Amino acid sequence: MTLTRRQDLPRFVAAAFALAAAAGLAAQDLTLPNRKDSVHFAVIGDSGTGNSNQMRVAQRLAAIRPKFRFDFALMLGDNLYGSSAPRDYASKFEKPYKPLLDGGVKFYATLGNHDNTNERFYKPFNMNGERFYTFKPPNASVRFVSLDTNYMEQDQLAWLQKELANSQSDWKIVFFHHPLYSSGGEHGSDLQLRERLEPIFVKYGVDVVFSGHDHFYERIKPQKGILYFVSGGAGKLRKGDALRAPFTAKAFDTGYHFMLVEVTDDTLYFQTISDQGQTVDSGTFLRVKRNNGTATTTKPATGGVKPTTNTVRP
Amino acid sequence: MSLTAYIVTLTFALTVSWSSTRASQSQPVNRDAQILADFTARVKAYVQLVDKADAGAPPLNETKDPAKIAVAQDALAERIRAARAGAKQGDVFTPEIAKKFRSLLRPPLKGKEGAETKEKILEEKPKGVPRQVNAKYPEKEPLTTMPPNVLLSLPKLPEQVEYRFVGKDLILRDARANIIIDYIPNAIT
Repeated sequence: MTLTRRQDLPRFVAAAFALAAAAGLAAQDLTLPNRKDSVHFAVIGDSGTGNSNQMRVAQRLAAIRPKFRFDFALMLGDNLYGSSAPRDYASKFEKPYKPLLDGGVKFYATLGNHDNTNERFYKPFNMNGERFYTFKPPNASVRFVSLDTNYMEQDQLAWLQKELANSQSDWKIVFFHHPLYSSGGEHGSDLQLRERLEPIFVKYGVDVVFSGHDHFYERIKPQKGILYFVSGGAGKLRKGDALRAPFTAKAFDTGYHFMLVEVTDDTLYFQTISDQGQTVDSGTFLRVKRNNGTATTTKPATGGVKPTTNTVRP
Repeated sequence: MSLTAYIVTLTFALTVSWSSTRASQSQPVNRDAQILADFTARVKAYVQLVDKADAGAPPLNETKDPAKIAVAQDALAERIRAARAGAKQGDVFTPEIAKKFRSLLRPPLKGKEGAETKEKILEEKPKGVPRQVNAKYPEKEPLTTMPPNVLLSLPKLPEQVEYRFVGKDLILRDARANIIIDYIPNAIT
C-alpha cells in the first residue's frame, strides 16, 4: 500500500492493525486434527447484531479459515436482530461474513425468535424455503437436521422422526435455536421442547445438538448419550448468565465466541474460540455406534491428534 | 295392574329416562365439535381469500435479493388488507370460538408444568404489537415461542397461518404476509 496523502494515514493504520490481527489470529493453536477427509464446519449463534462484536467474531472466523478450511457454517438462529429489511441482511450478515461468503462458505441457518420466518427464502441461508430442513455434505456420513423450535407443531415432529428414521448416516447432528439443556438465567432449558424432542433424538440415534438463544457458550455433559452445546455468543453476550448447573461440563460467558467442529469416522472434535482468540474449550466426542439396536462405544482416538482438554464420553 | 304389566311399565319408564340422560350428555360434545368446525371453516375461508389475492402478487420464492422478499411480503399484505378491508376482531375468533379457545388453553397451563409453560409464553415481552386486524406484526419485536404442548391443545392450522401469543393475548398471524388475522384478548389468565 502506498501512502500518498495525510488523509490516508488513519486508513493505513487501521489496515495495518487488521493485518497484524489477522496474522495473530491465524497463528493461534488449532486443537483439531484437520484431516483432509473429514467434515469441517463452524458454528455461530445469535450473531445478527451488525455491531463491532459480531464483526470481531467474524474476523476471527475468517482469519482461521486458511488454517482450518471449513466448508460450511451452522447459524443457530437470531440471524438478524431488529428487522429484516435489505439493509439488515447487508449489515448483519453479508458484510460481516463477506470474506467467508466470497471464499465459498455455505451458511445453513435456523430460525430464532428474533427472525422473520420469511428469512427462509433468503438463498444464502440455504433453508430451501423451509422452516425446517435437512442436508448432508457430499461424501460424508453426517446428516444435519435443522428445526424450527419457535413453532414445534405435530407435523414438524412427524417429519423429524421420518427423516431420522430414514437416515443411514453414521452421524446425526441436529441444530435449532432453543436449547434443551442450558444453565442460562435469562432463558435456560426449554423443558417443553426437551419433553418432545429428547425421546425422538434418543430413539433415532442423534449424536450432537447445537442450540443458541442463551448468549454464552456452554457444553453440556452428555445426556442419554447425546452431546449438547449452547453457542449463542457470536454477536450477543450476556455476561455471567451461565449459572453452571449440575449438567454443565464447561461454560464461557465473559466473551463472544464461535465454534469449529471436525467430524471424522467415529470422532467429533470441537474447539471453541473467543473473540480475543483464546481457546475456551476443546475436546473430542466418541460416537455411540449402534449395531442392531445395541449401543457400543469405540476405542478412544489415538495417534496424530494433539492433546485436547477433554474427551467426552457418551 | 298385574305384576307383569307393572314390570313392563317400570322397565319402559327406566329406559326412556336413561335415553333422555344420554341424549342430553351428548349435546355438549357435538356443540364443541361444531364450534371447532366453524373455526376451521373460517380459517379455510381466510386461506382461500389469500390464495385469490396472491394470484396477482409477486411470488415469494428463494432469492439472493432480500429486497424481493420484503416486496413480496408487503405486496401480499396489501392485497390481503384490500380483500378483507372490513375485517374486524371476532371475524375468525367469534365470541363462541374465543370462549372455546380459552377453555382449550387451560389444561396445558395447569400445575407445575403449566406454570413453566406460562413462564415461557410470557418470557418474551414484545412491545408495540398492535391488537388490530390486518396490522403488520412489527419486525423489530420478537415472536413468542409457541410451547409444543399448547400447540397440541389447539386446532391444527394450514401452513401459512400460525398462533402466537402477545402477552396473554392469542393472535392468529399470517406468517408469509406478516399480518395479524385476528386475536383473542386475555386468552390466558
